[in-house]
Parts: sequence; structure tokens; C-alpha cells
Amino acid sequence: MGRYIFRRSLLGVATLLLVMFVLHLLTTFAIQLNGNPALAFFGERVPTAAQLAAVETRFGLDDPCYDQTGNPCLGPFAERLGAYAQGDFGTNLRGREVTDIVATAAPNTLKLFLVVTIVWFLLGMGLGTVAARWRGRSADHGIRLTSVLIDAFPIFVLLLVYRYVFAVPLNQWATETFGAESLPALWFRPSFDDDHPWATLLVPGILLGLAGSAAFIRLVRASQLESYTGDHVRTARSRGLTERHVVVHHVVRNSAVPVVTAVGLTFTEALAGAVITEGMMNIYGMGGVLWEAVRGTDVALVLGVVTILAAVTVAVMLVVDIAYAALDPRIRYA
Amino acid sequence: MGRRAALAAAATAVTLVLASCSGGGGNDDGGDSTEGGGGSDPDATLRLALAQDVETLLPMDSNVNDNISVLDVVYDGLVRYDPETTEPYNYVAESVESDDNTVWTIKIKPDLTFQNGEPVDAEAFARAWNYAAYGPNAMANNYFFERIAGYEEMQGETDDEGNVTVEPAAEELSGLEVVDPQTLEVTLTGPFAGFGTMLGYTGFYPIAQECLDDIEACAVKPIGNGPFQVDEWDQGVSLTASRWDDYTLDESPAYGAIEWTEYAGTENWPDFQAGNLDFAVPPPAEMVAAQNDPDLQERFVEGPGAALTYLAFPLYKDGPWTDVEFRKAISLAIDRQGIIDALLPGERVPADSWVVPDGVPGGEAGTCQWCEFDPDAAKAALEKAGGWPEGETLTIHLGQDETEQALFKAIGDSIQENLGIPYELDPTPDYFDRRGARDFSGPFRANWFPDYPLNENYLAPVYASGDVKNGNVNFGYYSEDFEAAIKAGDESATLEEAVTHYQEAEAVLAEDFPTVPVVFSVNSYYYSENVSNVVLDPFSGEPKLRLLEVSNAM
Repeated sequence: MGRYIFRRSLLGVATLLLVMFVLHLLTTFAIQLNGNPALAFFGERVPTAAQLAAVETRFGLDDPCYDQTGNPCLGPFAERLGAYAQGDFGTNLRGREVTDIVATAAPNTLKLFLVVTIVWFLLGMGLGTVAARWRGRSADHGIRLTSVLIDAFPIFVLLLVYRYVFAVPLNQWATETFGAESLPALWFRPSFDDDHPWATLLVPGILLGLAGSAAFIRLVRASQLESYTGDHVRTARSRGLTERHVVVHHVVRNSAVPVVTAVGLTFTEALAGAVITEGMMNIYGMGGVLWEAVRGTDVALVLGVVTILAAVTVAVMLVVDIAYAALDPRIRYA
Repeated sequence: MGRRAALAAAATAVTLVLASCSGGGGNDDGGDSTEGGGGSDPDATLRLALAQDVETLLPMDSNVNDNISVLDVVYDGLVRYDPETTEPYNYVAESVESDDNTVWTIKIKPDLTFQNGEPVDAEAFARAWNYAAYGPNAMANNYFFERIAGYEEMQGETDDEGNVTVEPAAEELSGLEVVDPQTLEVTLTGPFAGFGTMLGYTGFYPIAQECLDDIEACAVKPIGNGPFQVDEWDQGVSLTASRWDDYTLDESPAYGAIEWTEYAGTENWPDFQAGNLDFAVPPPAEMVAAQNDPDLQERFVEGPGAALTYLAFPLYKDGPWTDVEFRKAISLAIDRQGIIDALLPGERVPADSWVVPDGVPGGEAGTCQWCEFDPDAAKAALEKAGGWPEGETLTIHLGQDETEQALFKAIGDSIQENLGIPYELDPTPDYFDRRGARDFSGPFRANWFPDYPLNENYLAPVYASGDVKNGNVNFGYYSEDFEAAIKAGDESATLEEAVTHYQEAEAVLAEDFPTVPVVFSVNSYYYSENVSNVVLDPFSGEPKLRLLEVSNAM
């Protein structure tokens, strides 16, 4: 077990380094091909060579390799790794600490993800179970049709319609009925409010969760249908257990395992959805920060944020792997 | 189409609800805020939107609309600008005087302090200006100090690769002299009549010694000398400022606090509709609904914007565009009003001058006689220029911006339709690089937003170079008459006289026609029932925060 953890940790670090290097190359080439972000600092004006050089130094882009297309800029990369090793994640182009940005943005994204995950779970397990239990009946057809409908509405359509059609009248109504600082009024605020993060994240989280729930509904349904015909269910029934007991303990619980795995896998996809949700609902989160950083070719910020994200992902994967072994006696690592 | 109609209907319904509810609120306290006089509540909070990419509140480093408008209430400059004429008047300065336009004596009002108690004196200005002018500090407003003697010595030297070869020789502007605590003497490299006008700009605000000692802290929590102080800036999320009780000068807002919410994009219209913001601009899809809402129309304010978008030509390269008749033909072929009506109604106005009319002293409409849409005259001019070479395509270069691409596609279509010149757009991510390297092979989009309200700023920085052989970097334009008129303006005894000379320089442009003015921006805002006495600054286009009256009636 100890050797396994050591090997996995080593693999994790190697993965991390690879991710960082690929990103470093991409952002470096972006600068070399698209032009130096330092120039954008001057807008319509033509800077003198000295002014440009000063801003390049300030932005940490003064290494001549950034002007040589194709140069992988290994020097700055090594410097950055050294700084990271000492816990210094650097600053964005205008001098704000990357760790400070992440510390402000990450909690909002995590809160959003929590709401999304709960919605996935509730909708997926709830509707999927009903559809499987009454397979081929009208409930099943209705749920399957619903899941197709959900797929047909991308998240930005849901949010656009919500913000511009529903949010304002609902907010007005709630404000008049319950008062401006009441929970219902906050739920329907058209944008995120940092003073009331949970209340204002609820509806966007539910919508983002709804938009991604179709796959879960189908996954749970398929997995439970398999269970219904499984040997262990037949055995349970033959022992004379009530149908209710069989469904709850042997079908629904078993089907939760693939769903948990899928939640993990879909997490990265959810980040993509979070970029849109965060952008439209004005949530200061990781997706939005990353989006703006890429747009502004802010190398230090892109690398810093992704490295922190990748490090967390690698660590979580490691914990999950180890937890599997601890939970399931059939899994042994050697 | 159906969705848009539904949205419009919903938006209308919403604003009706808004109107009825706040109308009732207004009656309760007899609030006559809409009538102006004394409608402001000293404890009221103004709620504004702020762009999320504001990264600093350091005056020397603030050069975008958003931090400029925050700092306008946090700092006081030597001069401020009249909200109607944009002409400067003394504010922190007792007087700004010069006999020869080269040596300027600035007297500062006595007993003014920063919010931390430090005196606002000549030294406070000198330390801010020296910091900004020192090249390696890479301040956004560095170039404003080019005119002050000793600026060159504070910039490093670089080789062709852009690597610093020589460190700056000086750390202070030799042209700045603190004569006594209330007197600052500024020596320029040459006469410039507009220097007094520049002094109200954000880059010329003073800073406290405590600020200089910890620039990073000061960039997020400024120590101002204005009527408001920043309470907290949660970067990326919100910024709050409240009234500074020890403020001694006159121009203090009549409300208690300002709360800026940061937005990543411009999607704040629903928040305005829900009553969470006091100023907003609807997105294009909501524009018509807002325009058709009589209640909202009562709370609409519009003013000319100062930004000029124009079409420039690579005069440094051989081509039909080196003939003035060809440039005229292009200009006459563009249906400016038609394009605006179709694409950006209410958001741009056709430009027929190089300086924004009424927005700055000396700005006058109609200086461009070939900026009308006249397809027949355009064809005639093209013929005079010898026509367009058979089989060639006109390339129009521009940056990558969706709105501008749509605008310039329409301009290209206009040219193609009226002159029969086939064209292609070249949206390039390297726009500034390529422009600086003279890498354009056809006309290109350009844009100018002035730095200070004076017609000179639309002219000299854009067209003057003093380089007879090569012309200016961007277009390759040079005119002796133009440079002479600018010089005469710089040396004028009074600002009025200077403005007249600068107008002569604009007249030279109208003859030489190096560039084609296309559109000016328009500033407009909808505002909530909480605010009144809304005046847009004709220069920045932002509401004058110090004149606003705010009451939290809702």
C-alpha cells in the first residue's frame, strides 16, 4: 500500500509537470504569434521602445525569447517552477497575487459546484429510479422525453431566458411581498451578490445542474434496469423480501456507484459550463478568471490558476483511488 | 423574432411594475427628487457598475474610464473641467500661470490635506509626477510627462531587440521645482499653451508620502484628497467609498456613499431593472424595448462621445491612396448615417470633423467637407484619381472586435457598391504591432480617444511627427503647414488664441485629407428613480458624480 501511494504520488507530480509544460508552451506561442500583451497596455498609442521595454519588464515578459517565434522559453519556465516550489505563484500582469485571486474566486465556484452536484444527484437518482421502476410505462416515456428536452436547451439559453424574462418580475414580486432583503428576493436577484453568496447562487446552480442532468437520468435508469435483471436481485426476491426492500437496498443503492464515478468525470465538463454561468450571472469564480486570463494572454495567471486546479485534481484522484481500496475489499493494489 | 418580441413585452411589463411601485414610494415622503433642488439624501448610497478588469486605483497608473471615474471622487486635481464647456478652472490650484508657455508657476491653495492628514503641497504633486515619469515604473500615464524637461533622462535606452541597454540617468524630472510648499514651478521642453488643461487629468493627481512608501497598498486602497475615501475594494467583486468628513473644498457630492459592483461583461441591465443599480445601458437586444418605454425614456440621458473612429491610409506605401482624390472618393462613398441606422442606432453619430464638435474647446462640426455621402461625387473623384487598378482587391485592416468588424464590413460594402472596388477585411490580432511596423497594405481602421479636453489632443499626437522624410509612424503623413499651426498654437499667449491656431491645423487636415473621419461615439445612460440632476461629462461620457443627487426612496 505504501509503495502504491508513493508510485501514484510520483505519477501525479509527473502529470502536473506535463500539464504545466504544455500550458507554458501554448501561452508562450500565443504571445509570440499574437503579439505581446504589453502592447495592449498602450491602446491606440505608439509606445517608445523604452516605454515598451519597461512594461514588458513589469509584466515579466522581458525575456527576449518571447519575441522569437518557436522558442520554447525554457528559461522563464524553469524560473517559474522554482518560484512555485517555494509557494510563490506570482502575480497577474498588473501585479495582483495569483493566490489572492484564487482565494476570492474559488469559494464561489465551489459553492456553485455543490449546488450543481446536489441537483444532479437528486434529479438523476429520483427520475432515473422512477423511470427504471416503471419501465415502458407513461412515467418512463415522460422522463425520457424530458431528458431529451433538457439536452436540447444549452445552459446559456436557460440562463438568458431566466435572466431577461423571469428574474426581474420574480425579484420584483418577491421584493414587494417579502421585502428587499428577504430570501425569496435574493433567490431571484438577476446577478450574484457577494454579500449573500448561497442565496444568489441557488437558482444559477439549479439551472446549471438541470442542464447537465439528462445524462445522469439515463445513466441511473440504465444501471438500475441492469440491476433489476441481476442475479442478486432475483435472489433477494426469492428470499421473500418485500419489493420495496429489494428496490431500495439492492437496486437503487447499487446504481449509485456508477453515478458517483460519473459525477467525478463530469466535473471538468461542469467547469466549462461554469464559465458561461459565471459570466452571465456575474459570479467572480474560477471559470471567469481563467477565461479573462486566457483572453488577455496573462501567462502567469493562466499557469498559476491551472496549476492550482491541476494539483487539486491530482490530489483528489489519489485520495479517491486510495479510498476505493479502503472501501471495496475486492480491490487490492500491489 | 418571436423570442425577441416576448423579451420586449416582458421588459415593458417589468418596467411598468417598477414605475407603479416607485411612484407610490415617491408620494410617501413627498420626495421630489426628479425636480432637482435639494433632493439628495446625505446618507443615500449610489450604486454603480464597474468593469471587472480595473486593476489599480493608483492615479499615475489609471487610464481607463472606470478607474478614472472612481478616482474623480477620491482625488482632487489642480484644475477641474466645466461640465458644459469642458474648459478647465482652478480647483486645488490657486493659480496656474505662465508668461512664455514654457515655465509654468502653479500656486496651490493652503491648508489642504490628504485623507491621512499629510499636506497636499507642491511636494505631493512633484513626488507623484516623478514616480509616473520614471520609465522603469512602467506607469500607464508615463507619457503625459513627455513635455516636462528632464523626461528623456528618466527613460532607459533600448537596442533594436527591445532590451534595455542603458539605465535611466535621472530619477527626478529636472523641470520640476518645489519653490516653496505652496508653489511648484514646471519647466517644459518647449512652449505649450495647453499645459494648464492637462493638469485636471487623473495622471496629474498628487499622492501622499505614505502612498509612495507602499505603492502596492496604495494601488488598492488609495489615500486621496477628494471628497470620498475608499472603504474597501474586494477586487473583482465590489468597491465601496464613503464621504470623507474632513473635506474642505466646495465640490462634494450631496450623498453618503458609492457602491460599485464589478461586472465581467456589460450584462448588468437586468440588475438595473430589478432596482439594484442606478445607471445602466441596455444590451443591443433590449435597446428597442427600452426606447419604447415611456417611463424609461424620462430617465434617459444622452451626450456626444469624444472617441473618433476613422479610416487611415498607408501613405508610406505606393498605391492609389497616395492621391488625395482617391481618399476623397472613399470618404464620399461611405453612407455613414445609413450604416449607423442599420447597425448601431443611437450608439454612434456620423463624423464630419477630426475634432469632436462641442466635446472639447475648439471642436467644430462640419470641418470635413468630403464627409457627406455623395456617390456621384465619389465616382467623379475616383475617376480623377485614375480609377482603381483592375483585378486588385482593397484590403481593410482592423483589430478583432465584433462590433467594429460589422461596422467596417458595412463601410466596405458601401465602397464596393458605390465605387465598384472589391474589398476584403483583414481582422488581425497583431493590429498594433503591424501598424507600428508599417505592415499594412491598404486602408485601416483607427480610433482616437483624447487624453485631455483640448482640440490639440486630436491633432498633434496623431498627425505631428516633425519627420519630414518619413512622416508620422502610423500613416506616413507630414505637413509643414500643419506642424506650423500646431507650433503657433503651443506658443500662443492665451488658450483661446491657441485653440484658434489648432483649428487652423485641423483645416490643413481637411485640405490634405490624410484620414477619413467615420463616426463619433455616443454616450447614453438610463438612470433609476433614486437619482436626479444627471449630467454627463461631455468629455468622458460618464455621469458627473459630484453633481448627482441621490435619495434611497425605493
